[in-house]
Amino acid sequence: MTFFHVVVVGAIIAAIAAVAWFITPKGKNQTLLRTSALMTLTCCYLMWAITYLAQLNPLITPRRSDLRAEY
Amino acid sequence: MSSTYPSLFRSEEMSLVQLYIPSEVAHDTVSELAEMGNFQFKDLNPSLTSFQRPFTPRLRRLAESSRRLRLFRSQITGLTPTLGIPPLSAVPPFTTVGPRAQNAYDELEDKLKEHERRLADMNKSWEELGKRKSELEEKRWVLRETAGFFNEAEHRHTEIRTSFDEGDNAPLLEHAAEYGNLPGDTGFSGFDLEFVSGTIERTRMPTFERILWRVLRGNLYMNYSEIEEAFVDPISGKETHKDVFIIFAHGEELLSKIRKVAESMGGTLYNIDSSQDKRADALREVSARLEDVESILYNMGQTRRVELSKIAEMLEGWTDAVRREEEIFKTLNLLSYDQSRKTLVAEGWCPSRDITAIQLGLRRAMDTAGTSVPAILSELRTHQTPPTFHRTNKFTEGFQTLIDSYGIATYQEVNPGLFAVITFPFLFAVMFGDIGHGILMFLTAAAMIWWEKPIAKNGVNENLETFFFGRYLIVLMGAFSVYTGLMYNDIFSKSLHLFQSGWEWPRGETGLVLAERTGHIYPFGLDPGWHGADNSLIFNNSYKMKLSIILGVIHMTFAICLQVPNHIHFKKPLNIYAEFIPQILFFHSIFGYLVVCIIYKWSVDWSQSPTGPPGLLNMLIYMFLSPGTIADGTPLFPGQAFIQVVLLLIALVCVPWMLCLKPYVLWKEHNRIKGQGYSGIGGQENGRASTSEHIDEEEEEVGMAVAESTDDDHPFEMGDIVVHQVIHTIEFCLGCISNTASYLRLWALSLAHAQLSEVLWDMTIALALEYEGGVIGGGIFLFLMFGGWFVGTIGILCTMEGLSAFLHALRLHWVEANGKHYMAGGYAFTPLSFATLGAEEE
Repeated sequence: MTFFHVVVVGAIIAAIAAVAWFITPKGKNQTLLRTSALMTLTCCYLMWAITYLAQLNPLITPRRSDLRAEY
Repeated sequence: MSSTYPSLFRSEEMSLVQLYIPSEVAHDTVSELAEMGNFQFKDLNPSLTSFQRPFTPRLRRLAESSRRLRLFRSQITGLTPTLGIPPLSAVPPFTTVGPRAQNAYDELEDKLKEHERRLADMNKSWEELGKRKSELEEKRWVLRETAGFFNEAEHRHTEIRTSFDEGDNAPLLEHAAEYGNLPGDTGFSGFDLEFVSGTIERTRMPTFERILWRVLRGNLYMNYSEIEEAFVDPISGKETHKDVFIIFAHGEELLSKIRKVAESMGGTLYNIDSSQDKRADALREVSARLEDVESILYNMGQTRRVELSKIAEMLEGWTDAVRREEEIFKTLNLLSYDQSRKTLVAEGWCPSRDITAIQLGLRRAMDTAGTSVPAILSELRTHQTPPTFHRTNKFTEGFQTLIDSYGIATYQEVNPGLFAVITFPFLFAVMFGDIGHGILMFLTAAAMIWWEKPIAKNGVNENLETFFFGRYLIVLMGAFSVYTGLMYNDIFSKSLHLFQSGWEWPRGETGLVLAERTGHIYPFGLDPGWHGADNSLIFNNSYKMKLSIILGVIHMTFAICLQVPNHIHFKKPLNIYAEFIPQILFFHSIFGYLVVCIIYKWSVDWSQSPTGPPGLLNMLIYMFLSPGTIADGTPLFPGQAFIQVVLLLIALVCVPWMLCLKPYVLWKEHNRIKGQGYSGIGGQENGRASTSEHIDEEEEEVGMAVAESTDDDHPFEMGDIVVHQVIHTIEFCLGCISNTASYLRLWALSLAHAQLSEVLWDMTIALALEYEGGVIGGGIFLFLMFGGWFVGTIGILCTMEGLSAFLHALRLHWVEANGKHYMAGGYAFTPLSFATLGAEEE
């Protein structure tokens, strides 16, 4: 179920990327702007998805021995 | 790709262009082209040495002028107090083009000559007077210092005498007294020892002393003292330290020896008298003369200053004009010059897009020259490889430089610089992820961008120039670092608690405590529950290692895919199915599979699974070592063994595919062509050399010249192709493994960065926060520790760690990504341009 979140966010990002592709103004910087927008979205999405997935089903539990009693 | 606008994706389309320039507009045409800065002239007289070229005498005169200007500049900057040179913008413009330009330059040359002569005269007498002055000064010092020696000597001599007088019981003296000729009476009282005095450089003093000692066999009494003031050479401005010496010795012969030695060592001798009155007179005289000389020198300095300031006013304008003129004539030397027909022929590269602009420029040049014959432009067809020209702006120039320093792209090849705009800062940020450090970096670069114009105008410190040049790169690096910092949940080694954490610490327990799951998943970034946990490092290691493998595989896949537009553009479909497809299959049947496994393993809840989680590294290793079985009996998914065997087989098939298909197809093609009898067609027919005579002849017949070169045809060599393919295949297969491993540097560096910033915090501010010495003491301690922490953060974490992450990101781009698709076999477009002139000189 939670893997679904990654897919949904992926779809949203893809939609934003599509919008970004079409709204980049024509001109000598169009290629640069499009590439930058798409790559930024991809990179940030990848990083987020990897981080999120890594915490879906943790195999180990945080452990600490310095907790104070009043906490 | 639209061709209406230039883009960074491919380099500009270039045209080889020929210009026919009537000699009367030649100068102004070249000047106009250099002003526009988009025409790269080719040398049409490669066989001529520089002496044989038509404009060499003219260039030599210009070189002379520019030497004079440099001389003036060095003299102006050497003045104290300093004399400002007004910038180019403040100087009235100098006519560099048009019909009167030639006269203006001739006048300028005469003017410079005249200025130089006057300055040379002034400098000569200045030098002479300066020499006189320093001689006089030396003499004054000799007089002063020797006075000290004489006094000392006299004093000692009295002392000796008193000791003689007191020594009544000295038997020798008593004995002598009987004879009535005490040596003191005659020898000491008159003090008629002979001596030599003068000055010598301090560094030579020990040698001088030793030589004298040897030569005179110790028969001398030497005394010297240091002159505190340094003597400044009036022309070179060099400082020399000198010593005054006085040497007492006996006998004319010895004295002449001393004089010779002193002169040979570069010392100056001064005659002084042994009597104190005469010395005092001499001192007075010397002082008076010194005063005269000084006043003359002062007046002369003033006149020289006035003269130089007159030059300084115009200096920048003149320098600029001479530089331009030199550049123009250097270019004119490249053109083929036809004395009889009064036309010059120029050939060169320019972006095809700019041809219209260049034609307009030619028209403008004709107007400035005041004639009615414009230069004629015609495009040539050619087989030569054009230069590579990426139109960059101030934003992309930094990124493009990173790629260009690896290699200039082949003409019209896909340019990785376009993608580096994002991938470079991103990969950097993966290693540098920290919100705090990212913000600092972002703000620094943002400040440089905000005050861009004032900074650029005032010039930057040499060390900071690189940072200023890369300001747009740094601003993106900072921004991405903030994002990855959010992902790592690190801000100066502390963590943010923005959302509901997935972990909760049980209340009221002490000792070793395990967190409990709350059922949430931290939605954005790393769960703060891990912060400060004993085993956070284990989790971070696993997470960051997998992160870097996944990012690496995706980055390399992207790089391999960039081959495709190249193969399509250069019309080599063979490369797609003989190289690209097997490469991507090979890579993904091993590492693509690994990535899928990583993600799959994350998405499975192993606590509900009957078997434990498998180790992915072992899985990959056993996939090769024992195909068909699953390591440790812990399958990742059903049917795994079969899939792994299939993938392995695919990978194995890809190797001979990459190795054999391309050479085979090329060989077959070659045989087919040979069978049709067309062999050797490329070798000879294209052999018409593009010498200017040929072009001239052809031009009359055809109207459009065809310049062709022979150097792009190679005979078919099967051996070369096979060897090349073998190397290429081995490189790729081994590279897949080592390059994927190489991406683990993302993990290593980000871990090191996080640990280092934690250590820095623990050793500074954490200590101060735990300090229990009262409010005031604690406050001061905290303040000091904060200082230490801040310096460490800027110096070590942001600058040094930043540089190291930068280098690693650069390597990942150059080796791991560019190695997959970037041919980098081009040469840069270097147009003639006035804009880059000043920068070269400095």
